[in-house]
Amino acid sequence: MRRVELAVVGAGPAGLSAAIEAARHGVEVVVFDENQRPGGQLFKQIHKFFGSKEHRARERGFRIGEDLLKEARELNVTVELETVVSGIYDGLELVVTKNDRVEHLRANAVVIATGASENMIPFPGWTLPGVIGAGAAQTMCNLHGVKPGKNILMVGSGNVGVVVGLQLIQAGCSLEAVIDASPRVGGYGVHAAKIARTGVPFHLRHTIKEVYGKDRVEGAVIVEVDEKWQPVPGSEKDLKVDTVCMAVGLSPMYQLSKIAGCETVEDPSRGGVVPICDEYGATTVPGIYVAGDVSGIEEASSAMIGGKIAGASAALKQGYLAQDVFEERYAAFRKSLEQLRQGQFGHGMKGKKITHTQEGIEVSESLLCRGFVDESEILRFPGIPSEEIRMRGLTPVIECTQNIPCDPCREACVKGCIRIGESITDLPSLSKEVQCTGCGMCVAACPGQAIFLLNQNYSDGEALVVLPYEFQPLPEAGDEGTACDRSGNPVGKAKVLKVQKAKTMDGTAVLSMIVPRELAMTARFFRPSGSEERRA
Amino acid sequence: MAESNRRKAPEGEYVPKADDDLLICRCEEVSQGDIRRALHQGLRTMNEIKRETRLGMGLCQGQTCTRIARAFIARELGVAPGEVGLPTPRTPARPVPMTVIARDGIMDEAAGEGI
Repeated sequence: MRRVELAVVGAGPAGLSAAIEAARHGVEVVVFDENQRPGGQLFKQIHKFFGSKEHRARERGFRIGEDLLKEARELNVTVELETVVSGIYDGLELVVTKNDRVEHLRANAVVIATGASENMIPFPGWTLPGVIGAGAAQTMCNLHGVKPGKNILMVGSGNVGVVVGLQLIQAGCSLEAVIDASPRVGGYGVHAAKIARTGVPFHLRHTIKEVYGKDRVEGAVIVEVDEKWQPVPGSEKDLKVDTVCMAVGLSPMYQLSKIAGCETVEDPSRGGVVPICDEYGATTVPGIYVAGDVSGIEEASSAMIGGKIAGASAALKQGYLAQDVFEERYAAFRKSLEQLRQGQFGHGMKGKKITHTQEGIEVSESLLCRGFVDESEILRFPGIPSEEIRMRGLTPVIECTQNIPCDPCREACVKGCIRIGESITDLPSLSKEVQCTGCGMCVAACPGQAIFLLNQNYSDGEALVVLPYEFQPLPEAGDEGTACDRSGNPVGKAKVLKVQKAKTMDGTAVLSMIVPRELAMTARFFRPSGSEERRA
Repeated sequence: MAESNRRKAPEGEYVPKADDDLLICRCEEVSQGDIRRALHQGLRTMNEIKRETRLGMGLCQGQTCTRIARAFIARELGVAPGEVGLPTPRTPARPVPMTVIARDGIMDEAAGEGI
């Protein structure tokens, strides 16, 4: 029987990170993945990640995936694709199916990084073609270049719903609405704001009642729910959509760990049933570790750190790593992980109602209920310069209003105009002397696309608004169009002054538009003329 | 097992409900009505209902329907989903074609490898 030192199940962010960390210390590692391509969910993550530099913030997920693969190759990690681990027996014996052949192999240690699967909710019509998981829609768009549909309803306003929602718009689909039974947007406000300003309405306290159609989805009926989550009769709305994307949570794929004998626990804060594990990723079965979404639903960045911890643990167990070296590495991983888990979306915060930021500023109700910060609320946040400064010349306007662990903006500004306090979750603020050169790096760097540049005194009666732009076709200097507010409503005429593109901006164009001065704090989106008016 | 979850003898004939046709398990086409009938027979746990209806025994191995079915069964019985239990996952965790299983061992012998 073939014998390996470490078998990793799943070549996603957690599995690859575990493999890399273990191999770095000399462990012989084989990674199994049932898919044709490695990388798990990373290769469809085309958006920029949050966090700090060590978490690879402002980098797009798929690039992180490419780097992980390269690193794994350099460390001689074997990645066996289209290979299914269908069981794990006593003595860490793995049953592996590859090329129509069953192989049994023995491992000294196993890291289970099987990830998660998408939840569904049943309603009349849920099995019609056209009702798909949001993750599936993302795979279609971003990996296969196929639009899942033309007119789409997104069910769920968590980060998956709002991130995939934007990517569907970028792919050329029309996102008709985002609904959520919860009274508040579940995902990062900045993600929601990206789609709200394109004109997508958020219907919170709404659930899907039914989907109808003959052979596929032809429409969806949504209905308001009351405080007890019961449908309110007569509140139905009929949406003409051909695709319904379900972004209603993920479930850890614990089954393989259970087959292997690991004890499980039901923990709603981690997404459901998960294998019991300690802080080193060790399960109740000696030699079996877990990492990533299978051990609790989190972001890919956390999964990568969890993978490193499990990989180091597996190396320690086999004597490839001295205890003191392990402890040093573990402490660094733990610190990095704790950083990501801070803030209002962090550990233990699920379901908690937040009324004030950690700076003591009242949160934006509009952001939570409608997906965008209302103009009347924005002035109270520390990233917004005073009118005096806005009239003096170009300045960043940072519309970042929630405490999330993220700081690329600070580093992006070579002039040091942007400040973040001691904690990575502090809201960015502006230095007293703003010396903005208009380079646009902060605008492009912000993974939340929440930074704008503004010169309220551009010319007599005109203001210059600089914004991040990630849609095709890219407008050109001289193009005329419509300035839209944060909710996507057209508010006036806009003319493109220039469109900055740079390699360091990594695909985020920085568009400068001239608008009437009174729209300086209102206009936050550019819609090229001739492009379809989304809504009346 | 909770009091409410204890087996009771079925009372009378099963009375169909309007939403019996709604599918819970897509792979094996198990509907709400199928599950209600199983409950009416006195079956209570996920494993019992799985064996009676083939719920969760298809291509996805219950990856999608387990959560939905548990919630539905719990609602029908008026108990917490945790009290319904979980189906026991078994090898193969993923579908393996019968040809592969049939050939298991034969190819190894031919190749002189042995397991």
